[in-house]
Amino acid sequence: MLFNSLQFLIFLPLVYLLYWFVFKKNLKYQNILIIVASYIFYGWWDWRFLFLILFSTLLDFYVGQAIYKCSEDKIKARYWLWLSLFCNVGLLGFFKYYNFFIDSFVDMFSAMGYQMKSTWTLRIILPVGISFYTFQTMSYSFDIYYKKLKPTKSFISFAAFVAFFPQLVAGPIERASNLLKQINTKRIFKYSQAASGLKLILWGFFKKLVIADSLAPIVDDIFANYASYPASTLILGVCLFSFQVYGDFSGYTDIAIGTAKLFGIELMSNFKFPNFSRNIAEYWQRWHVSLSTWFRHYLYIPLGGSRVGKLKSIRNICIIFLVSGLWHGANWTFVFWGAIHALLYIPVFLMGRNRLYANNVIAENSWFPTIKEVLQVILTFVLVTFSRIFFRSPSISDAFSYIQHIIDNFTYQAYVHPMGYRMLDFYVLIGLFTVYEYLIRKDERNPFKFTNPIVRLLLYAIIIISILLFYDDGVNRSFIYFQF
Amino acid sequence: MKKFILKTIIYSVLILLIVEVVVRVFHLYTEDPPRFIDEYGVEKRVPANTGYAVTGNRNQNYSRFNINGAGFNSHREFIPSETKFEMALIGDSFVEGFHQDFYDSTGKKIEDRVSNSEVYEYGYAGYDLANQMHLIKAYKKDFDLIDEIVIYLNYESDLERGVYEPNYDRIKLLASTPFKIRDNIKILAYGSKIGILEPLKRMVSGKAFEEPQQGYQTNEVETIDEAEQKTIDIQRIANFKSLVKLYGFDKVKTSILLDSRKTSQRFLEFCSSNNIAVIDFANNFKNSKKATTLIYDWHWNNNGRDIIASTIADYIIVKRQNK
Repeated sequence: MLFNSLQFLIFLPLVYLLYWFVFKKNLKYQNILIIVASYIFYGWWDWRFLFLILFSTLLDFYVGQAIYKCSEDKIKARYWLWLSLFCNVGLLGFFKYYNFFIDSFVDMFSAMGYQMKSTWTLRIILPVGISFYTFQTMSYSFDIYYKKLKPTKSFISFAAFVAFFPQLVAGPIERASNLLKQINTKRIFKYSQAASGLKLILWGFFKKLVIADSLAPIVDDIFANYASYPASTLILGVCLFSFQVYGDFSGYTDIAIGTAKLFGIELMSNFKFPNFSRNIAEYWQRWHVSLSTWFRHYLYIPLGGSRVGKLKSIRNICIIFLVSGLWHGANWTFVFWGAIHALLYIPVFLMGRNRLYANNVIAENSWFPTIKEVLQVILTFVLVTFSRIFFRSPSISDAFSYIQHIIDNFTYQAYVHPMGYRMLDFYVLIGLFTVYEYLIRKDERNPFKFTNPIVRLLLYAIIIISILLFYDDGVNRSFIYFQF
Repeated sequence: MKKFILKTIIYSVLILLIVEVVVRVFHLYTEDPPRFIDEYGVEKRVPANTGYAVTGNRNQNYSRFNINGAGFNSHREFIPSETKFEMALIGDSFVEGFHQDFYDSTGKKIEDRVSNSEVYEYGYAGYDLANQMHLIKAYKKDFDLIDEIVIYLNYESDLERGVYEPNYDRIKLLASTPFKIRDNIKILAYGSKIGILEPLKRMVSGKAFEEPQQGYQTNEVETIDEAEQKTIDIQRIANFKSLVKLYGFDKVKTSILLDSRKTSQRFLEFCSSNNIAVIDFANNFKNSKKATTLIYDWHWNNNGRDIIASTIADYIIVKRQNK
């Protein structure tokens, strides 16, 4: 079920009313409702994959208890942890990477002169959101293993934690210490939380329907026909893709966080205005935060983090970026994308500037940024956008060919929208969106922070008018990150 | 909780009011003049209506229409006489021309090219050949006075039936309360136009849980095998014959306007062997260096209408000279 579908428009109020009016007094029933609603929400795509969620849930619930029981026996506990890792990564490996690795091996042997036929690849459908919920369940076992968490005794609570529908298919990837704790606690309706949830949902819909969906046909057209366009159009295409993917994913996240708020649950922030990052390290503190912190806690730090000497630290950085790239998809383009980010991150790390902007935003104490900050933001945006050529291209050769065409055909020609719409409308839209994001840059959870109710009402109206002005019936409205 | 629900409702109502005002002030909605079926069984617009037709989310195409006394979008009234030269141009939405200003229509462009002529545009969105042939028969008195008749035929969609039957149910449906509400609440009219109400419409028609077709539709021609094409052609030619038999066809003054690139060779040969005059604009469209259709729409743009008008005007001038 998509957030931006009629089904969800009916589903959400129905679950909401049952949650607050029918099952309000009983936490257990509320959690059962969350499980049932979440399974309906997920099963809407393909009910068969519910068994995968159920398997992952059962596995980590029992593994969590087993790890806790033998916490004094480190070796036994480690075996149990490895079981969780083996099964969860195995699920991911089979459904997401099996064909990729087989094809890669075949290609490798072919390159060495051994001609092989790829007869082992299977026709496998990728279950929606598998990378998200397997990481979430694994984090539970990790936290118990590292003694940061006690296992829950309630299977219902744990199943609700794994399947909680607002964040099930595309995150934020929650930690049990945050979400499970709230699921185990009686929720109380708070007006401010519910109102803030609705505002976030509205803002999320704006980002998805207006920014991402209206740019999608342009980006699709340019990437599909890159060989026939001049450099100006190719640069435009990848810049617009930067805004599209941001609008799409952060829009989804806002709707997810907003929906969770309606149910009295606070999810972690996933996006903190990454377009205003002053270096690549700050970018990763602001983009897909739940994934980057997951990798930091469960991969980078166990590998030794930055406390193991420069060379090993660089190795660790390379590992997390390459794995992060591979996490996004079974394609060398994502690995390459991760490698570019590692290469961009390492100099910042070596200069000791990777935590420089961890606790402040651009123009922290002033209205306007300094010229230095503006240049830093532009440079970071350019570098990140360049890497997205690999993220968006269907293959490595297409990505290089795209770059080659920019160099070879370095000319300007005005781009014409595939449906004939005025391009100026989109430039103005992105300009205004960037300015507005700058105004609210200090609080990603409060997009309508203005105190005057008339101003707020007008803002809501402008958002809805924008949706009406830029809504496109022909666009495929699924979310980009669902494929991961 | 009460405060939350109450404020949500109040805010929603206020926002909808603001949006309704904006949609009205900037005329984002399109107007669809009311339709009816007259005493002759001809489906057309209610006479004496003017307004603006709007295409695209942000007024990409904004044009004025004028429904004349005969119930068709035209810059002139249809008053045929024996003393003037009149031509009837009959067709679907391409001739109705809600995508262009009524004073800049194909008919007006023909008049500018053919001296002392009046062009009566009998255009109505959704007309097929059955509608068109029935119209000629129904208004026989007028058409007897009209000197030339040009019927625009889209071979791929206009020959699907061999008899005309007025669709009273559709007219009744369009006049029903839900449609009246939609037309009077402009935000609904606008939402309906841009497709945002499609999920609701699917729900009303019991198809809420069917996956809609996603992605852009292209105009690529589907390839079908020869045997299948032959069956289709035979059926369409049979429909044409049936219509001719039922409503008549004056070969002397009637010509068919078509695009031979989208018309079966078998039908073209049928017309040729039966002395049915054809005005083919395919080559003129093909040779045009500028686009002939609107980009976000499939109708003819100004250049397309110029070419169509020139093609028809040249044909009429030659025909008049040969008389």
